[in-house]
Amino acid sequence: MKKIHIILIVLIAVAIGAILSSYGDASTYESFSVAAENPDKEFHVVGMLNKQKEKHYDPKVDANYFSFYLIDEKGTESKVILRGSEPQDFERSEKIVIIGKMDGDHFEASKILLKCPSKYTDNQVKGT
Amino acid sequence: MNETIFQGEHLIFGNLGHLAVVLAFGTSIIATVAYFFAAKNNSEPSWKKIADLAFYVHTFCVLSIVAILFTIIHSHLFEYHYAWQHSSRDLPVQYMISCFWEGQEGSFLLWIFWQMVIGNILLRTSGKWTNPVMSIVMLSQIALTSMLIGVKIFEYKLGSSPFELLRNAMGEAPIFKRTDYLSKIVDGNGLNPLLQNYWMVIHPPTLFFGFATTIIPFAFAIASLWKRDYTGWLKPALPWALISVMVLGTGIIMGGFWAYESLSFGGYWAWDPVENASLIPWIILIAGVHVMIIYKATGNSLPIAYMLIIGTFLLVLYATFLTRSGVLGNSSVHSFTDLGMSGQLLVFLFMFIILATVLLIVRWKEIPKSDKDEEIYTREFWMLIGSLVLVISAFQIIITTSIPVINKVLGTNLAPPADVISHYNKWQMPMAIIIGVLTAVAHFLKFKKNVPQTIKKMGVYAIISIIVAVGLMFAFDIKNWFYIGLLFASVFGIIGNASLLKPFFTGKLKTGGSSIAHIGFGILLMGVLVSSANKKVISVNQTGITMFEGKDEKTQKDNAENLFLERGKPVKMGDYEISYLGDSVQWVNNYYRVHYKKLDVKTGEVKYEFDLYPNGQINPKMGLVANPDTKHYLSHDVFTFVSSVPKQKEEGKYINEKKHIVKVGDTIYTNNGFAILEKINSNIKDAGNELKNMEILIGAELKVYTLDKVYSAMPIYGVKQGSVMAFDAVVEEANLRFKFTGVDPKEGKIFIETAEKDDSGDFIIMKAIVFPWINLVWAGTIIMIIGFLFAIWKRLEEYKRSASV
Repeated sequence: MKKIHIILIVLIAVAIGAILSSYGDASTYESFSVAAENPDKEFHVVGMLNKQKEKHYDPKVDANYFSFYLIDEKGTESKVILRGSEPQDFERSEKIVIIGKMDGDHFEASKILLKCPSKYTDNQVKGT
Repeated sequence: MNETIFQGEHLIFGNLGHLAVVLAFGTSIIATVAYFFAAKNNSEPSWKKIADLAFYVHTFCVLSIVAILFTIIHSHLFEYHYAWQHSSRDLPVQYMISCFWEGQEGSFLLWIFWQMVIGNILLRTSGKWTNPVMSIVMLSQIALTSMLIGVKIFEYKLGSSPFELLRNAMGEAPIFKRTDYLSKIVDGNGLNPLLQNYWMVIHPPTLFFGFATTIIPFAFAIASLWKRDYTGWLKPALPWALISVMVLGTGIIMGGFWAYESLSFGGYWAWDPVENASLIPWIILIAGVHVMIIYKATGNSLPIAYMLIIGTFLLVLYATFLTRSGVLGNSSVHSFTDLGMSGQLLVFLFMFIILATVLLIVRWKEIPKSDKDEEIYTREFWMLIGSLVLVISAFQIIITTSIPVINKVLGTNLAPPADVISHYNKWQMPMAIIIGVLTAVAHFLKFKKNVPQTIKKMGVYAIISIIVAVGLMFAFDIKNWFYIGLLFASVFGIIGNASLLKPFFTGKLKTGGSSIAHIGFGILLMGVLVSSANKKVISVNQTGITMFEGKDEKTQKDNAENLFLERGKPVKMGDYEISYLGDSVQWVNNYYRVHYKKLDVKTGEVKYEFDLYPNGQINPKMGLVANPDTKHYLSHDVFTFVSSVPKQKEEGKYINEKKHIVKVGDTIYTNNGFAILEKINSNIKDAGNELKNMEILIGAELKVYTLDKVYSAMPIYGVKQGSVMAFDAVVEEANLRFKFTGVDPKEGKIFIETAEKDDSGDFIIMKAIVFPWINLVWAGTIIMIIGFLFAIWKRLEEYKRSASV
């Protein structure tokens, strides 16, 4: 066996490791109920803002506390807390992806991604 | 359908544009076929003539498309969807160029343009390789130009035209029922504010030039398999491969610099799928260049060189598919929106995958291979190991970046890792350590055979590097073991390669390229390490008050990075005292003036101070688009951006009214500073109309001291026909108002009323980060590029020498 063969075997082993690690670290898109069953794991939850309920951000009191209510794709609602500032244009977002985990009565988000219909293409011609 | 005539449209441009696109597509097909037959049959010169003619027409068409599209944008012809969607009337000319790459069509056009330029160079420099190489380049040009056609063929829309009319693109909107609709469309949609930055004028062309150049080594590799000349392609392809590495690398780092200068995520690299998509082919190409050099020096590893060079271009196509098909969807912040071209992109990708793989398999047995076992104490062995580590590093990035693709193919429901950065770092850091060490090891060793002295010399430098690394470890305050390993690797890479520069400094400039590039890489690694390991968010909540209740302390700490800053009220932040002093408007941007004072940790004295102007554009479509501002020092950067501003600023009222009874020389204290009554002025000149005919008219001359400045103010007291009149003096900058309300002649005292402006409605929420030694990242990159330039020069000379023999 040539050295190159040994190297190739090691290489393949590391590559398999990379695949497993990617799979292991990968989060999944889930609903609030799944997140509630596994409070230790971080999930991606996709949903819509409940515009009926109040969102809360008062930077004078705390610039790092923002809460709102999100309805996930299965229709379950939960309070979401982000320890940060309210993302701009939050209300206009069509779809919200939150990343984090369930913590008792609320979802502790570490990151929020907004999907705004207007962000890159606004196919509304405004006549004057 | 009866033809409606719409008023004010300039249809000639669109018609010419369409014609140019169709002609460019047609001529690329003719050129591909003609070059193919010219390559097959050298004795028949007419194919070559047809091919060249078609290519020249093609060149002219591509230039015309660019010129027409620019005219449309520049003349604000909003009847064209592209101009309407990506530009607006108030856009400065330099940003009109950026409009080209905001849309998919324009960025394909950019790629087509570069590939056309490359074709023109290859046509004149490739010697006997010209015909097969051109045939492959033009094949890719067919695929690219087809993306711009925008014609429906059997219900399938082929490509998307940049010359589509707004009324066709928008279809049924009622406004287009009117023949004078154009007079109602006053302005375009405008350019995404994030692209309104000078880096965005030069980063995309550079990156796309880099992408476009990857076809050159690919075309040579394929041509060599096709023409069964397995060794002759390396000499002409190597300088091109190096140029490609240099340009693509420059483009990638420019993107990083743009992100750092104008995006508010706080850094130059975020492992975003779109960034990864351009990094992956670059890494593979670097590995490919190394293996090409191994083969040239030793005759080993040719099959691997083929796989890597071919793989690079295929990965560029894969990257194109990832970023443009819409498959990334939720996982990236800046992928293009889906134009319904994913099918076409897949055809493009698989066409080249199949072509290359089939050719490689068919010719595999004929590719020269070496039977010898590799020697461990040789340069080629460690270069090969290094290249393979690069391949693994790229592979790991591909796997995680491709999660959305895996979902599509396997029907799974995976999301990218919740903590992307640490996921990538745990893989990439050990590999960076190995690579860093190998850049020195492989350079110390010589090709084929080595003597024990070389190994000894390497050991000596390794020990020196350990000592230096330990020193730097304390200087940079680095504690994590992985970081220390990486620090050693970068130091060893720098010192090891520097020790080999002797011939360079004695005049053999061409030999220095490799060492210089690797020194640059070492410095880059060190910069990445130090700036990210010791990156410090200084805007953390330092009031010591827990403002919310929660269990997870880590989340609280991680996220409490935004600082609420009221105008005029300084806040201590790390070693800095910062205050928000006000805002100003320039063009569409709001600039927030933030004043920083660096305090001495022990004495509390001000060491130095500066202003930063992070800005925000309140964009009607995107809300607040924040751009950071950064103060650059040699050893660190202070980076600041606003994460939120009040929606509507309230007009300030005056509060805290207070009466002071004072005589000359007394001090008046307020919350915003103090004032000293200098003198009473009873001889007021230049009095306005309303102050005429006063029985008494005196002014109180005040010197107003705020934290750092001195102002003067003179409130006036007057009596007219028995009634008292007081005229305010306002010091805007100090938010103070003074009123002179009365006199007590017996005591020689006067009454001054002070009030402070209520600024509670005027605030910003900001974040500040200190990046230590981030200049090493930029310096390392520049040195690396200089190294590439020397290496390209060396390989070009070699090629010229071999071509002239």
